Amino acid sequence: MIEIDGVSQVFQTSARQDHLALSNISLTIEDGAFVSILGPSGCGKSTLLYIVGGFVRPTAGVASMKGRAITGPGPDRGPVFQEFALFPWKSVLGNVMYGPRQQGIKRPDAEAQSRALIEMVGLKGFEDFYPKELSGGMKQRVALARTLAYHPEVLLMDEPFGALDAHTRTRLQNDLLNIWERDRKTVLFVTHSVEEAVFLSDKVVMMTRSPGRVREIIDIDLPRPRHRTELLLDPRYQKYIVEIERMFDDSGDDELR
Amino acid sequence: MNGRAITSDALLGMIPIVLLVAIWQALISFGYAPITLLPPPGQVFSRMVQQLLTTSFQQEIAATLFRLFTGFSIAVILGVAIGLAAAVNPTINTVVRPIVRVLAPLPKVALYPALLLLVGFGHESKILLVTFDALFPILLATYHGASTVEQKLIWSAMAAGTPPREVLFKVVLPAAAPSILTGCRIGLVISCIVVFLAEMITSTDGLGHALVTAARTFQAVDMFVPLITISLVGLILNGLLELTRSYLLRGFPEA
Ligand SMILES: Nc1ncnc2c1ncn2[C@@H]1O[C@H](COP(=O)(O)OP(=O)(O)O)[C@@H](O)[C@H]1O
Ligand SMILES: [Mg+2]
Repeated sequence: MIEIDGVSQVFQTSARQDHLALSNISLTIEDGAFVSILGPSGCGKSTLLYIVGGFVRPTAGVASMKGRAITGPGPDRGPVFQEFALFPWKSVLGNVMYGPRQQGIKRPDAEAQSRALIEMVGLKGFEDFYPKELSGGMKQRVALARTLAYHPEVLLMDEPFGALDAHTRTRLQNDLLNIWERDRKTVLFVTHSVEEAVFLSDKVVMMTRSPGRVREIIDIDLPRPRHRTELLLDPRYQKYIVEIERMFDDSGDDELR
Repeated sequence: MNGRAITSDALLGMIPIVLLVAIWQALISFGYAPITLLPPPGQVFSRMVQQLLTTSFQQEIAATLFRLFTGFSIAVILGVAIGLAAAVNPTINTVVRPIVRVLAPLPKVALYPALLLLVGFGHESKILLVTFDALFPILLATYHGASTVEQKLIWSAMAAGTPPREVLFKVVLPAAAPSILTGCRIGLVISCIVVFLAEMITSTDGLGHALVTAARTFQAVDMFVPLITISLVGLILNGLLELTRSYLLRGFPEA
């Protein structure tokens, strides 16, 4: 369980002014839940994710995992960034093996596990490629495999499909759900797409525009496993989307479109 | 790039060199330069081949190469170490930055007389001068590369379990490799120039010394031989560095 308790974040801008990015966020994420954080750009979604990742220390409040305050990054929380952040000097296999090797797993075992993961994300045959030789979608698959390779309990995904074209994005969403169905890790998924949030999540946390506060938490009660084509015809799915879109309209927030 | 493209590139690159030699020959053929001062290229090249086979000339090359290598290697080690340290440690940066700003634009050759007095006429003074001159481009390139490493690479490594003290060698150094190697390439060219210059000023051996000796005795042909030898040495060393570079940076988009 991840608990975010009264977290605020103030950044110093280069003009030496204080900028309130997050204001008093409190949130509980249950084990095994797929939770999306939805909000307009600049509302502090990434910052919140970085705080849970332990990359950024909150100005006020605490984030904790399993009752222990988060003080830094750790292999129990695996990030996947929009920019992929793959190591350019390592091959696909080298990137995926990095985590297991850091965890002290012997090379042959680490390699065998990594090859299996690369196959799972659909990149068999690309083990010796370098990131620069892959498309965006393939890079994000490698990044996901690299993170899964050290078995984090929680996946922290920051608009992971935001840089991909619509078709690739849909395919990766499906594949992510398929992978997630196997072991149901906790996922904290940042997005600014209403459809993506509803399609993937058990719970959608809507944030207000800057400074980010929790505006509404919506439980998405749709059966799993989910299939996009079925959902598109499902009135409940449509209702969630319309409901959430309206909320943004209410606040006069059109940044989401 | 495929083999054929490399060959045709190499051929294209030869054109200006061939042109230069042609102009050189033309200057003599059309009587613009007296043969005693500007010997024809054919004569210089045949003299060079002849010289390359003599032990005495090989020793001159060896002396120059030794100084070049040692000075350049020390510069690489120091430049990378200081550059990395300054990039990751604000205190070190505060200490290093002003001294680098003062020393970097200084014409290092001005230190040579002092070096001669301090460490003598042997290898040491030349090595130190090469190190001084090659150090700053390598240091500055390393610092720049290491301080602009993408934050998320570091975060990705730390989340995977890399302790903070190991991030320097596991992420910062490899991520800064393109910059570092660019710095090294500049440093190597400078090293070739400086070792030759130092040997010309004061030395008892080396290619630069061979040139000065020939000039003093009006041996025009022997004057050109060391000059062409050092540029060939530079060409070969740069080629070797380029090979190392394209191997080490094989995963980087810009390489
Ligand atoms: N390191 C930083 N320094 C200063 N301001 C920052 C920093 N990181 C984020 N911000 C500011 O905080 C706000 C929230 O940023 P971010 O979390 O990236 O939003 P989102 O991910 O929702 O688009 C933005 O206004 C951004 O400019
Ligand atoms: Mg963001």
